[in-house]
Amino acid sequence: MLRLFIHSSAWLSFSGLLLLSGFLLYASWPIFSEQGLYFIAESEWYPYEDLFGMLPALFGSLLSVGVALLIALPLGVAAALFNIEIVPSCLQPWLRLLMELMAGIPSVVYGLMGLWLLVPFLEQQLDLLTGRTLLAAALLLSVMVLPTIMVLSEDALRKVADDQRQRANALGLSWWAVVQRILLPQAWPGIRLATLLSLGRAMGETVAVMLVIGSIDRLPEPLYNLLQPAQSLTSRIGREMGEASVGSPHWSALMSSGLLLMLMSVAVVLLSQRRWFK
Amino acid sequence: MKWTIHPAKLLLTLVALPALLIPALALGYIVYQGGAVISWQFISTSAELSGFGASSGVFSQLAGSLLLAVGACIVATPVALGTALFYQLSNNSRLCHHLELLIYLLQAVPPIVYGLFGLILFVQIFSLGVSLIAGMLVLAMVLLPMLTLNNITSLQRIAIEQTDAARALGLTESALVLRVWLRQSRRELITGQLLAIARALSETAPILFTATVFSGVVWPDSLLSPVTTLQTHIFYLAQEGNHPQSIDVAWGSALVLVITIVLFSLLARALKPSGGNL
Repeated sequence: MLRLFIHSSAWLSFSGLLLLSGFLLYASWPIFSEQGLYFIAESEWYPYEDLFGMLPALFGSLLSVGVALLIALPLGVAAALFNIEIVPSCLQPWLRLLMELMAGIPSVVYGLMGLWLLVPFLEQQLDLLTGRTLLAAALLLSVMVLPTIMVLSEDALRKVADDQRQRANALGLSWWAVVQRILLPQAWPGIRLATLLSLGRAMGETVAVMLVIGSIDRLPEPLYNLLQPAQSLTSRIGREMGEASVGSPHWSALMSSGLLLMLMSVAVVLLSQRRWFK
Repeated sequence: MKWTIHPAKLLLTLVALPALLIPALALGYIVYQGGAVISWQFISTSAELSGFGASSGVFSQLAGSLLLAVGACIVATPVALGTALFYQLSNNSRLCHHLELLIYLLQAVPPIVYGLFGLILFVQIFSLGVSLIAGMLVLAMVLLPMLTLNNITSLQRIAIEQTDAARALGLTESALVLRVWLRQSRRELITGQLLAIARALSETAPILFTATVFSGVVWPDSLLSPVTTLQTHIFYLAQEGNHPQSIDVAWGSALVLVITIVLFSLLARALKPSGGNL
């Protein structure tokens, strides 16, 4: 009895990924059979004219996540170092608790703050027509992944053996040399893992991004312009899923966006687990 | 030595401060905005069919969120526990290795993709419609990887002597699982459940199209009727409410949601056997 239960649940978990990709492929099949794979690289998205270019949303996803990580990574690692090296040890657990609780705040609450705090602020400060821009999405994402990066980097830094540090001190290395030559290189695998995890989380983030990104399917002009409304894969799915009728080309194009998103996050994990295959 | 002022330490502090202050300020802002709105009446009454109305309480939303989260946890628990037991009992290390990678992959799949999957399979193919049960099943899938990993860690924490002694006494496999493993790790397993509920409460994207409606439901009549939840309530109000009062309700709902999640995570932390030394 128990064996049967254990085996069936294990097989259920085993089949999870297969089921997910299978049903998404099934639902997006019409669009692939009709338009091939070229539409992924095209830049026009007009569902009512059967144009389903994925490029703007794909680009928006990658750019917002990239900028978010560029901001959050140095800040997060610095905060982790600060908490370990500078904060008195009686305060450390409290700071850590705060960060862990922050990591649990739902994305929709960040979205609310983004829409009613960050967006008006950007509008005023940068004198924009609308604050709903790629920059708003990137800033919001960076705040959202910051706690995760900090908590995981701190774990990695704490794992660096004490005797390494003592030997470095005995050699008379300065504090900065210890950080730069011993702590950071030793903790690097953990920090890299934290980065990839937050990359995946930021890429799949839906409601917060959807509220602030502006949802306009257009490549920014010039390409590095962060101050225009944009679109990400997730925000497009969230925005348009409600209006697409079941089984229409629009519906299956949205499903294929989901499939693309899933493939991208799977690729990120495989990248982070690379050494497993060696 | 710790207190000598070092230019590098000063620089690190300057970089780290925004990372520590911004999340704290964000939390403070939610409390400030939401605190002005919530009262016992706000939590304990439900705004019957009022939509964007003025004096809306959020009781039905809170109830819907909790129902979905607890239901999802109940659905996911047996499968997660079974998979974890399979992992621990199996002596095929290759298979375990693949299973672990697979769970990491499932964990990386963005929640919105699970939402799309649920929309295809549960809402359309099984024709459950937009309903409580569809939402529970989708959320259960979202929770499955984290619960499984959590259960595996809990089982691994059991002292090897316990297992050896049980085996030496000639206990059958089911007796080993039921009377030694589950009993030894029950507190950690419950911690995992509480964290899973907290996680389910913070997800919005997967239930947006599968389980929830904006208004009109006070208490779901059956598993097949849709619900209202705090997460989607905040989302709709933030997105469409131009009325200042509906934004107030959104902030109030956000604070209620954050408090609920924090309560679950703190409870989990308090139950953790080794004490909160993280």
